[in-house]
Amino acid sequence: MTTTIVLQQAINGIVLGSLYVLVALGLTLIYGVLVQINFAHADFVTLGAFAAYFFMHLIGAGYFLSIGVALVLGAALGWLINASIFTPLRRKGNELLPLIATIGVSVMMQNLMLAWFGPIPYAFETPYSSQVIRFAGIFVSWQNVIIIAVSSLTIALLYAFMKFTFLGKALRAVSQDRETAGLMGINPNQLIMLTFVIASALAGMAGAMLAPVLVLTPFAGTSVIVKAFAIVIIGGFGNVEGTILAGLIVGLIESYTTQYLNPGLIDIVVFALLLLMLAIKPTGLISERREENV
Amino acid sequence: MSDPALAQPLPHRQSPPLSRRVGYLLAALAIIILPLIFNDTYWRTNLTICAINVLLALGLDFILGYTGQLNLGHSAFYGLGAYVSTLLIVKFGIPFWGAFVAGVAFAGMAGMVLSLFAVRLRGHYLAIASLGFAVIIYQILLNWISLTQGPLGIYGISPPPALIIGGRVIADFHNLTAFFYLVAAFTFLVYLLLNQLVRSPIGETLTAIREDEISAASLGINAAVWKVFAFGVGAAVAGAAGCFYASFVGTLVPDAFFVAEAFNILAMVIVGGMGTLIGPVFGAILLTLLPEMLRGIGDLRLVVYGAALTLVVLFMPGGLVQAARFVHEKFRRGGPQP
Repeated sequence: MTTTIVLQQAINGIVLGSLYVLVALGLTLIYGVLVQINFAHADFVTLGAFAAYFFMHLIGAGYFLSIGVALVLGAALGWLINASIFTPLRRKGNELLPLIATIGVSVMMQNLMLAWFGPIPYAFETPYSSQVIRFAGIFVSWQNVIIIAVSSLTIALLYAFMKFTFLGKALRAVSQDRETAGLMGINPNQLIMLTFVIASALAGMAGAMLAPVLVLTPFAGTSVIVKAFAIVIIGGFGNVEGTILAGLIVGLIESYTTQYLNPGLIDIVVFALLLLMLAIKPTGLISERREENV
Repeated sequence: MSDPALAQPLPHRQSPPLSRRVGYLLAALAIIILPLIFNDTYWRTNLTICAINVLLALGLDFILGYTGQLNLGHSAFYGLGAYVSTLLIVKFGIPFWGAFVAGVAFAGMAGMVLSLFAVRLRGHYLAIASLGFAVIIYQILLNWISLTQGPLGIYGISPPPALIIGGRVIADFHNLTAFFYLVAAFTFLVYLLLNQLVRSPIGETLTAIREDEISAASLGINAAVWKVFAFGVGAAVAGAAGCFYASFVGTLVPDAFFVAEAFNILAMVIVGGMGTLIGPVFGAILLTLLPEMLRGIGDLRLVVYGAALTLVVLFMPGGLVQAARFVHEKFRRGGPQP
C-alpha cells in the first residue's frame, strides 16, 4: 500500500518536474547567453496556457495543435521582449535595468490578462485527462503520459541541438565568451535572439501542458516561475544538466510534500533547499566554471 | 581652470548647506500643511500610506542604490516588522513602543542574516535568494495559523497610545491627522539620518563598494561588513514601516506582504531615481497616488503602472531625479549667460 503511494507520487512528481524543467531551461538558456533574468517568462507560461485553452474551446482544435499554438505564441513574445527591452538596454551595460523593465512588463501583462479573462479560474480539461491507465495499483492518466513524452522529447531535441549542431555549438560559444565568439565570426545578436525565441517557445509550450494541472488564472505563471528560479539556482545558473536534475528534484519534493506534509509547505521546503544550497554550494548541483574579469 | 563652464558638477551633487536647510524647512512645512489642505478621510488616509511607502522606498534605496545589493524581498522585512510588533502587542500585551523597537530590531536582524548570504553572492543570485526569502516569509505568515491566524488575519489592532504630557493629551492617534504627523515626522527623521549617513565617509565607502567591489577591497575596505550593515539598516527601516502600517490599518493579513509588494517598492525606487535619497521620496508619493487617481479605469490602472515602470527604465533610467536635472540644465542654459 505504502509503496503504491510512494510510486504514485513519484510519477506525479516527475510529471510536474518535467514541466518545471521546460520553464527553467528557458531561464537558464537566457542567463547563459545574456547573464540576464526575464521576469516576464512567467507570463509566457500563463499566456501559453490561455492560448491553448481558447484554441481548444473556441475553435475546437485538438490538444496537440493547441500545444503548437502556445509554442508559437511563446516564441513570438520572446522575440518581442528581446527586441523591445533587452537589445536596447544591452548597450547601457547595466545588470539591473533589464530585470526591472521585465518586472514592469510582467505587471502589465498580468493585469491585461486580468482585465480580459477575469480572476475566476478556468477549468482546462483535455480529452486525455480522464483516460487512465491502471498498472499494479498505480493510476496514470494519458495526459500525464503525454506530458512526460512531449517534454522528454523536447528536452532531448534541445540537448542534441546544443551538443551536435553548428548553431548549438555557436550558442554555447556565445554563452562562454561573447566577445571571442564575435571574433570567430559568430553574430552574438542573432544567437541571443535565437535563444530568446527557443526559451520562450518552451515556456509557452509548458504553459499549455501545465494548464490542466494548475489553477488557471492570470497569475498562474507566477507560482511556476518562482519555483523555476529556485530550480535554476539549485541546478547552477546557466547549466542545462543541472537544471534538468534540479527540476525533477523540485517536482518530487512538491508531490511528496503534498502527500506527507502539507501543500502549504511546498514553497517553504523548496526555498529552504535553495537557501541551503546557496549557503553550501552557491554554484549549484553541477557547477560550470565561469571566469570573471576584474 | 580655463573655462568655468567645463567644470561641470559631478553626478553626485553636493547641494550647498543653505539650500539644503531651505529644502528641509519646505519639507517640514509641507508635512504640517498637507493634512490641513486635504481634510477628508480619504486623502488623509492616502497621505499616511504615502508616508509609509516613502519609508519603505528609503530603506530599499539604501540597500539597492547605495550598496548595489539587488534586494527583491523587501516585502519580507515590511511583513516581519508588522507581524512581530503586532503579535507582541496582541499576545503578550507589550506596550506599543516596546513592540515597535522589537519589530524594527527583528526586521533589521533578519536583513543582516539574509545579507550574510549576499556577501558570497552577487547580482542575480542575491535577487533570487531575497525573492525566495520573501516567498518563505509570506508562506509562513499564511500557514502558521496558530500564531498569525493565516489568511483570516488579525483584527482590531489599536493605534499607538496617545501622547500625554503633563496630564494633557497632545496627540490622540485615533485621529488621522495626528497619525499622519507621527509617521511623517518619523520618516523625515529617517531621511535626515540617512542623508547624514550617505554624506559621511561611510557613504563614500558604500558608494565605492557599489561601483567596484574589487577596487574597494584593494583600498582596504571590508565590503562584507558594510554590505551587511547597509542591508540591516534598510531592513530595519522597512520593519518600522510595517509597525506603523499594522497600527494604522488595524488589520493584518499576509497578502499585504506578498512578493508583489516588494516589486511595488522597487518600482518606487526606480521611478524616483535610485542612488539618491530625494528621488525615492517622490517616486513613492507618485506611485502611491497614481493608482488612486487612475481608479476610474478599473483593472487597467495596474497596466498603466507596469507600462510606466517599463518606459521609465527604457527612456529615463535615472528616474524623476534625472528628469528634474534635465529640466534644470535646460532652464539654466536657456537663461542669460554671465
